[in-house]
Amino acid sequence: MPAVRPASKRKAPPEGFSDLEEDLLIFSNKMKDAQNAPNDNLPRHQAQWPIFQISHQRSRYIYELFYDKEAISRPLYEWLLKNGYADPMLIAKWKKQGYEKLCCLRCIQTKETNFNSTCICRVPKTVLKEDQDIQCVSCGCRGCFSSS
Amino acid sequence: MLKSTYKPSAAALQPLLPGWTEHKAPTGHTYYYNAATKESTYKRPAAPFAPTAIAPQVNLSDPNIANAFLAQNAPQPSHQSSHRGGFGGERGGRGGFQPRPRPQPTDKPRSKVAIPGHEPWILVYTKLNRRFAYNPVKKASYWRIPEKLMPAILELDQARIRQKAIDETAPTVTTTGETTVPNRPGAAAPATTTEPHDYDSSEYEEVEVTDSEDDDPSRPKRQRTSDDPPSGPVEFTEADIAAQLAAMNADYNSYPSDSDQDEDDGPPPLSESDATALFHDLLTDLRINPYTPFATLLEQPTTADKLTSDLRYLVLATTRARKEAWETWSRARMQALKDERARQEKTDPRIGYLEFLQENATPKLYWPEFRRKYKKIDCMKDGGAAFGDKEREKLYREYIARVKTSVGERKGELKGLLAGQGARALNSATVVPEGVPAAVRADVRWVVLDRKTRDEFVEGYVRGLGPPPEDEGQGTREEEEAAEKAREERRKRERALEDRERAVAEEKRRQEKRLGFERARLREEERELEKAMVVDKKGLRGQLAGERMEE
Repeated sequence: MPAVRPASKRKAPPEGFSDLEEDLLIFSNKMKDAQNAPNDNLPRHQAQWPIFQISHQRSRYIYELFYDKEAISRPLYEWLLKNGYADPMLIAKWKKQGYEKLCCLRCIQTKETNFNSTCICRVPKTVLKEDQDIQCVSCGCRGCFSSS
Repeated sequence: MLKSTYKPSAAALQPLLPGWTEHKAPTGHTYYYNAATKESTYKRPAAPFAPTAIAPQVNLSDPNIANAFLAQNAPQPSHQSSHRGGFGGERGGRGGFQPRPRPQPTDKPRSKVAIPGHEPWILVYTKLNRRFAYNPVKKASYWRIPEKLMPAILELDQARIRQKAIDETAPTVTTTGETTVPNRPGAAAPATTTEPHDYDSSEYEEVEVTDSEDDDPSRPKRQRTSDDPPSGPVEFTEADIAAQLAAMNADYNSYPSDSDQDEDDGPPPLSESDATALFHDLLTDLRINPYTPFATLLEQPTTADKLTSDLRYLVLATTRARKEAWETWSRARMQALKDERARQEKTDPRIGYLEFLQENATPKLYWPEFRRKYKKIDCMKDGGAAFGDKEREKLYREYIARVKTSVGERKGELKGLLAGQGARALNSATVVPEGVPAAVRADVRWVVLDRKTRDEFVEGYVRGLGPPPEDEGQGTREEEEAAEKAREERRKRERALEDRERAVAEEKRRQEKRLGFERARLREEERELEKAMVVDKKGLRGQLAGERMEE
């Protein structure tokens, strides 16, 4: 069991954290609500959807602040990753061409599907049939293909 | 059926005929009683129209004079005969208060009938169910039908009404009622109620006894004049009629109908950059945290309410546009915050700590003792990576070492420090304790002298310096100008927004008014239809007679 560190002895987060604190708290409250929401009367595969979605949103938020808007410092960004505020593996995918909007890691995990294919949400809209509304099984994504 | 006789303007203007008295019924209606004839009526038995007072001086038998007279004395366009109840109902609702003139629908000729017996003359019916006599040879047209045409026109009307009565059943009455039957021939302004008996044909239902007709007695009726019919048939086209009608309308509306003009120009356009800037202003004014994602802003009830209740939220039409505006705003804002913080970072911790040292540090205490003693004080606590305990210890030791030296020596050191500053940072305009640059105040040499002697010394030193360099002054002036310009632009934007809002509100109000008016008209028409449907066994003739009785 890791040592229990009291709040007074805990190392303070890097500066700039106070700017994001409030919004991260909102995200974590949302996450708690999603975790505690009853999932009795919805299909079993949908139970995890809101959790995937919130996790995606939060990772995206931090990713954009650091890479796109350059509003937070690298130490803070690393601290956030280390403390589980964002998913570094997912962010690593977003940096790759063709994966800029990837919804979750499970959707590109070809080994988990029957025909060694990616999820339906990775298929570009132009390839899909006209007016075909899709929502993927793993995270409820409606399409996360990259478009210009 | 009772007709509304509420006509405040009429009541105010017309004196009662002798022998009549005014009373109020328990229902609130005003009615009039003639003790001599034991007659009572809701209709004000007033002396005939006010224009009678003016009319006698004008020779209305000349059509040109009559038209000119009309143009002068008819400030109100009246859709005289057609929407009888419709307008009456609406006017009653307004309670005799006349705001701006109603937008006047443009009239158009709809059909024409040759008047038998008076060859070149034709009778033109318009879209609004008005009609006028037109002489294509003389190119003259008169709303007021010339006297000598009157019998022929009456005959025409009678024939038409008879035809309709045969063709259709009950509703005919209303339709005939709607067709225009303008004033009787004869004197310019006789009381309309008494008139119909001159031509007592039962089919010739008098339309003039309506609310819309006689509710404004100050307005002269369309007057007819006699005119010599020139001989010789002339080709008469629709275009001619239209031109005539336009000319008459122009005559008729001698006042500008500003409401029509207003309708044409929409809300003043707000340029895209202005709209974006307004949205930025909104975000700044609400002190929105630039780090908050846009989705969260719209989800959280506190911020969402504040945002959406503001007018400036709507200057951008789509949420996508708003998001883009927010994006640019948040980027700029975050950058500004970052810059500001960087500037503060440079100055802050050391200065505070040195001031604290100046007050509390003595050579009697070693560093560990000092630290232990004051560990609860803010500036002794963790100040981040840039200013740690090691730095503090170094500064403390340095301070103690310098305090032990003589005052003169310390002054010399301070002078050396001040001399190192450029003319821009330190000049004769510097205010001594506050205006001194941060670089000086973050140095140990600044605090080693006690405050009073130091300030005096620095004051003397600063006086000996030259004035501030020119370009710096210019820089501040430019900054001021930029700020002033930004403020001015913002004021302009807000004014534009206000203008737009006002225009939109105006447009809305106008539409509501129009809607209300249309509704009232519809109701009136329904009522008329209903009325027309009630036909007893005696048929049309009986009903017409009954209606006259009612009046």
